[in-house]
Amino acid sequence: MKPKLIIGIVSIIVFTSLLMYNFGNSISTYVNFEEAEARTSSHVVGTWDSTGEYGFSRDTMQFSFHMKDRAGNVRKVIYPRPKPNNFEQATQLVVIGEMRNNVFYANEMLMKCPSKYNDSPDFEKASTIES
Amino acid sequence: MIAEAGRWFLNFAFLFSVCSMGLYAFASVRNNKKVERISNWFWGFKGVFVLGASIALIYLIMTHQFQYYYVWNYTSLDLETKYLFSAFYGGQEGSFMLWIFFAFFVGLGLIAWTRKPYRAPVMFVMAMTQFFLLSMIIGWDFGFTKIGASPFRTIAQEMPNAPFLQANPDFVPQDGTGLNDLLKSPWMMIHPPIIFVGFSMMTVPFAFAIASLWTKTYHGWIRPALPWTLAANLSLLTAIFLGGYWAYETLSFGGYWAWDPVENASLVPWLIGTAGIHAMIIQRKSRRAHKASLFFAILAYVSIIYQTFLTRSGVLADQSVHSFVDLGLYNQLLAFILAVTIMGIGFYLYRYKELPTPDKESKFLSREFMTFTGAMLLFILGLVIILGTSSPILGKLFVDNPTPPEIQFYNNWSMPIAIIMALATVIGQYLFWERHSWESLAGELITPLLITSTVSVVSIVLGNVTSIYYMIYIFAGWFTVIGNGTVLVRLLRKNPKLVGGTITHIGFGLLLLGIIASSVYTVPMLDPQTTNYNTRIEQGEVFDDEGFPITQKVEMFELKINQPKLLNEKYMVTYEGYELTNSPRPGQQNYRLRFEPIDGGEVFYMSPEVYPMLTSSGPNGVDWSVDPHVRTGMIKDIYLYVAGSKYVEQRNEEFERNAQNESMMPVGNQEEEQTEEQEDSQIIELSRGETKSVGPFSFTFRNFVPASEEALPENTQIGIRSLVHIEHESSGRAFEAEPLFAVYTEDDRSYTYSPPIEIQEWDMNVLFSKVRPESDTIELTVYGLDENFEEDWVLVVAEQKPFVSVVWLGTFMLMAGFSISIFRHWAREKNTVEKN
Repeated sequence: MKPKLIIGIVSIIVFTSLLMYNFGNSISTYVNFEEAEARTSSHVVGTWDSTGEYGFSRDTMQFSFHMKDRAGNVRKVIYPRPKPNNFEQATQLVVIGEMRNNVFYANEMLMKCPSKYNDSPDFEKASTIES
Repeated sequence: MIAEAGRWFLNFAFLFSVCSMGLYAFASVRNNKKVERISNWFWGFKGVFVLGASIALIYLIMTHQFQYYYVWNYTSLDLETKYLFSAFYGGQEGSFMLWIFFAFFVGLGLIAWTRKPYRAPVMFVMAMTQFFLLSMIIGWDFGFTKIGASPFRTIAQEMPNAPFLQANPDFVPQDGTGLNDLLKSPWMMIHPPIIFVGFSMMTVPFAFAIASLWTKTYHGWIRPALPWTLAANLSLLTAIFLGGYWAYETLSFGGYWAWDPVENASLVPWLIGTAGIHAMIIQRKSRRAHKASLFFAILAYVSIIYQTFLTRSGVLADQSVHSFVDLGLYNQLLAFILAVTIMGIGFYLYRYKELPTPDKESKFLSREFMTFTGAMLLFILGLVIILGTSSPILGKLFVDNPTPPEIQFYNNWSMPIAIIMALATVIGQYLFWERHSWESLAGELITPLLITSTVSVVSIVLGNVTSIYYMIYIFAGWFTVIGNGTVLVRLLRKNPKLVGGTITHIGFGLLLLGIIASSVYTVPMLDPQTTNYNTRIEQGEVFDDEGFPITQKVEMFELKINQPKLLNEKYMVTYEGYELTNSPRPGQQNYRLRFEPIDGGEVFYMSPEVYPMLTSSGPNGVDWSVDPHVRTGMIKDIYLYVAGSKYVEQRNEEFERNAQNESMMPVGNQEEEQTEEQEDSQIIELSRGETKSVGPFSFTFRNFVPASEEALPENTQIGIRSLVHIEHESSGRAFEAEPLFAVYTEDDRSYTYSPPIEIQEWDMNVLFSKVRPESDTIELTVYGLDENFEEDWVLVVAEQKPFVSVVWLGTFMLMAGFSISIFRHWAREKNTVEKN
């Protein structure tokens, strides 16, 4: 075999393994609050627990609420920005951040909003907003 | 009727595309000119049918026929005509139609201009892609399975189980749900068409590559394919630019690029297309790199279909801020991507041994090697981004339930690749026009390197750059601009028609510089108090209620009305109030912030907006959306939005109260609340013409007004109204009220009568409680106005972003370079076709 070909194959293998290694490290898996305690950064999926206190405090400039993860654990979540626009309507929340002392400090929050494609859309509602 | 016609048009278009596909295949195999001409007619008729279907859909939208699901879901009565038109391609089905329509025109161009051996096989591939695209929207329901989702389906077909439809199958909604407010932007009107023009044109190099493998003529195809590829790339670049600009101007994530899967999906075809252009240019110049140009031409289109698959199949639904609706096309899209990949790559591998190979390897210091390096780097960058974007699929190799990769993954890989690319562009451009040995090249590069070093040192010092990595990157960026700039100057003297590539490379260098300046050196604008607070957080001195240290910095500040704050020791910023308007969006607030540079610069105003999203708000709550204001400048942009305000908070509280009243509050409670309210009343004495400020309001007694008989009780002795002007000082909102005062007798006793006038907006009741004719003075009693009435406030998020202008400048230069090259290559191709 030609030496150039060997160099080429070796560099492709090195590049690919490096890339895949780095890729594998930079993705993580969605966890629940209990699992998040042992990690430095985690993605938690869940829903807003509307029974607990929630709101934005203008003293601390933080928005806090309670969230129930998929395993049913409820924890307080602190988000350092104002309450996102469509927070109450969200059917699912993803918080990205760190769990410390039973409080989840979210650096980012993604909201999944209800699809317009549910089975009983309320046509009346849509028209009342118009007026 | 019209919808029925539309459906038939689509069915015919689909059948005709099947026919033309078969006939073109036949014509290619048998080399039959007559059959080819017949298939051209089929192609033309298919276009007419697609046009008919599009007109039908536009007609349904324009006439508001909400019984059709597409019309109901994407439009509403109050939508402006231009947005009604753009709603045509606002949904998945319509956007497929637009794509098909543009591809049809590209096909017409190919029929007219393609040279002999390629025409039939190229058109066969075009017809095949049309077949797949049309299958997405024909909407055939076989009972056991469905093919495509028709834009002409009715609500009843879409939601057969909805209770209101079971009660009344002919139900027609009065109004549609409307277009998403964020998309009501002129940028978003032109963004999709430009994307689909790009997608359609990117089909051409793929078609030519297949035709070349088919006809075993591996060289000639790049001449006609090159201008199409350049044009496709220009369209995609323009579309990416429009998307980024729109995101920057309308969304609150604060930038033009966020490595969002949907954004990535548009970037990858562009990168691979650009790699293809590089390979084709080597092949045209030096009869090398046949394998690479075929490979990239095929992959560019495969990546377009792959990104279509990712964004439209619902795979990315959890990961992207862009919501794409899953129409259940997963299997069809999968079939499309598999067909295109197997056909392209399979055919390529099948012919691989026959493909021409150069006699000897190119030297390291040759334009072929450098250009090829550029192509490979673009391709590798594309691969890295595809890998990251495919994390919902490929991430499963590592973990269950994979999350998207951290942003750092993209930055870590793209930065070194960009640095090598940057250096390769300069060496490549020098070698492109002249042969060089190491010595002669070094001699040429001395001056540009000296200038680059000087400029880099200056920018590093001025920008306070501390990271060595960034220093290298900045050097590479400047080297690209200055090195290619030198080549540009020489070319302009010799032959200005050749400057396309050089301008593109300068644009690339500017883009690198602009990106690092605007992303790494963006600083939040904060008042001294918040800055101090953040410093203390950094030092770990701030603790929360439970005694744990707070680690998250505050990146917003509050402004009270007419109380200026100093931002970043640079601007005195005053919130001057807001205005409520109904245009262009109902219920919109325009906030007014005055910026005064303390070093004596010119005063300017920022006017961010907040508005209720109509599509997602209901009577139970408003979904507020922000529209940031960006003040663009040569040196820096100021990006600012209102993250919260007293007005928004009050409206939300009102909604909450209403919701509670409706559901659980007994009537008795409400009365109690009212009596409570009545306790905090204020008495204001005003003489005629006098103005008094109470809390945030000012009251002016203008004059007495005679009261009409009907409003007065029986046996009235005195009845008079007073004209009072009440103004909310910070917002400038004002009302004129005419409360009534009357004295009447009943059973020989005198009573006063002062009915309250309610000002709903402020939750205030005004009573004209006494009159003193002797001093021309009145006494008003005002309820719902207490002294600690909260002053108006806003929460502001503001950022200073340096040199975003350079990002745009770089993009424009890329576009200009591509345009120049298109003209040059197109003119040459036209000449050869005419000579034939």
